[in-house]
Amino acid sequence: MEIAVLIKPVPEAETRLRARTDGTQLDAEGVKFVLAGYDESAIEQALLLREATPGSKVRALAFGPAPRTEEVLRAALALGVDEVTWVESPAEGADDPGVVARALAFALARVPHELLLGGKQAGDDEEGLVTAAIAESLGIADFGSVVNLRVDSASGSLTFQRATEEGVESWTAPLPCAIALQQAWNDPRTAKLPNILKSRKMPIAKIPWAEVSAALGEAARPRSVAERFELPPARTGAKMIEYKSPEEAAETIVRLLREEAKVFP
Amino acid sequence: MPDFSLTPEQESLRDLARKFARTEMAPHAAECDKAGRFPEEIYRRGWELGLMNLNVPTEYGGSGLSVMDQCLIVEELAQGCGGMTTSIIANCLALEPIILGGTAEQRAQWLTPFCAEYHLASFCLTEPGGGSDAGALKTRARKEGDHYVLDGEKCFITNAPHASLYTVFATIDPQLGHKGITAFIVPRDTPGVAPGKDEDKMGHRASSTSTVHFEGVRVPVANRLGAEGEGFLMAMRTLDQTRTPIGALATGIGQAALDHAAKYALGRRSFGKPIAEHQAIQIKLANMVQSIRAARLLTWQAAVTIDRGERGSLESAIAKCYASDAAMHVADDAIQIFGGYGYMKEYPVEKLLRDAKLTQIYEGANEIQRIVISKELLRAYA
Repeated sequence: MEIAVLIKPVPEAETRLRARTDGTQLDAEGVKFVLAGYDESAIEQALLLREATPGSKVRALAFGPAPRTEEVLRAALALGVDEVTWVESPAEGADDPGVVARALAFALARVPHELLLGGKQAGDDEEGLVTAAIAESLGIADFGSVVNLRVDSASGSLTFQRATEEGVESWTAPLPCAIALQQAWNDPRTAKLPNILKSRKMPIAKIPWAEVSAALGEAARPRSVAERFELPPARTGAKMIEYKSPEEAAETIVRLLREEAKVFP
Repeated sequence: MPDFSLTPEQESLRDLARKFARTEMAPHAAECDKAGRFPEEIYRRGWELGLMNLNVPTEYGGSGLSVMDQCLIVEELAQGCGGMTTSIIANCLALEPIILGGTAEQRAQWLTPFCAEYHLASFCLTEPGGGSDAGALKTRARKEGDHYVLDGEKCFITNAPHASLYTVFATIDPQLGHKGITAFIVPRDTPGVAPGKDEDKMGHRASSTSTVHFEGVRVPVANRLGAEGEGFLMAMRTLDQTRTPIGALATGIGQAALDHAAKYALGRRSFGKPIAEHQAIQIKLANMVQSIRAARLLTWQAAVTIDRGERGSLESAIAKCYASDAAMHVADDAIQIFGGYGYMKEYPVEKLLRDAKLTQIYEGANEIQRIVISKELLRAYA
């Protein structure tokens, strides 16, 4: 099976974020970008499918600027992905999910992809649009929030489940198709040190933005532009109470909940 | 290196060690410390991820990392647990004499198994009668035909009860002083080799330490490392390689103490405000971070010096000595910031003080480091 995994560099969870001075987007200066969450699960899934289906290949693609995109692709190589393709974005990045999807769809013409895998959404903006948009432009079926993905060796079809509010759906789907995976239902592996060292020396196929934008023409232009990027306001209103005994602390809290927060009548 | 930035590869190695320290070491650190438990499952997992045998050349299946890269990894591991880190890096110490002094055949025979499977090795230099005075060791090696017969006792040997291989320093003739010292590779299953019981230690309690007795132990001549009498220099050159990562280990303990102390100071309140807003605490924190950063830079400088191919005795002695002293006073300050809670075992900082203490003693006591430093210093002025 030819598996293509879509990954995205996202800020490390512990990063302290701030807005750019023009207020339109995240200031990427000094931010550490990593392979995270849903994408790690998607790679793990791809590697498990490869192990279950001899002769399979796993290839990863990422769209974005240097150096962060190259770094997440190297992280994918260190985890055991066979080949990677870097689809370069404009230097400042491109947030419009349509542009991302069209650029990746363009790149997929060079990357075999019977099965297209992604996380159900990116770990940063959580939009969850790109995998579906690519599937649409490739004209293949797509499924979101998937768990328990297996390949049926007799038929070559995929079987999987989707957990919904109403219950669990069980599906069978023939290839080709696109699947956006729920996070962490598998336990993503950790790259081993020798593989990290090897990944530094492996090739990365690069498609320059000039080539992407020339091929896409008008479609390379974003249809949406972020106007403002604001961080949530700092939380205020925490009240520290002084007390001499637990009983006194409890009495004070109940009084404040009643009189100030008005949680109780 | 002059701009002090790390390469993307170095950052990836550090990230791996940090993840392992946080997710696999730290959650078990308090429990292993309390029980004095040797968490072999964690060491096996560290081996699987390639975090052991960092110095073994790639041709034998190791990672062949520079001392600088080893230091980046060790500092992160030490933030998870100092004791576990000692056990994880003990193979580097035990195998270094084979890397430095072994023939091509000896290296292939004895290094390869450690990279193919999980095994532990121990470096056997220190004896009950003397640690720092290594030239006066008493373990005897008498040649009988194509064998040497080893008799003696080693002590404070890291991982000894769990190791499958020992690198042993013994003298062919005590009259020769350090010129009689010779190094041997001794498999644990050789008749007459007997590790003692696990010592009950102040810190590094997740690590295992014991004596090893050698009684009539017959070792083939093929297991001798280098020529007779070359053992002392081999031991010193080994310690030149491994001393710097001990500076990194101490830096990691200090960093962990600072992290705990700063977070606590922001949350704990006295006199109507967080204690971090009291100048007495701010000054302590400022001193702590200065010491840790200086320790880290000295460690990196020593590592880069050795990686350039220089012996780096002075640089590594300064790094190890300074970083271990820094770890002690930073851990001490962290306890002071925690106040009474810092003295309680329920909180993590008292363990850091107990763990920091050993870094002033092992791999060359700081007094020995200071003698080395002042000798080098005075040589420059003489």
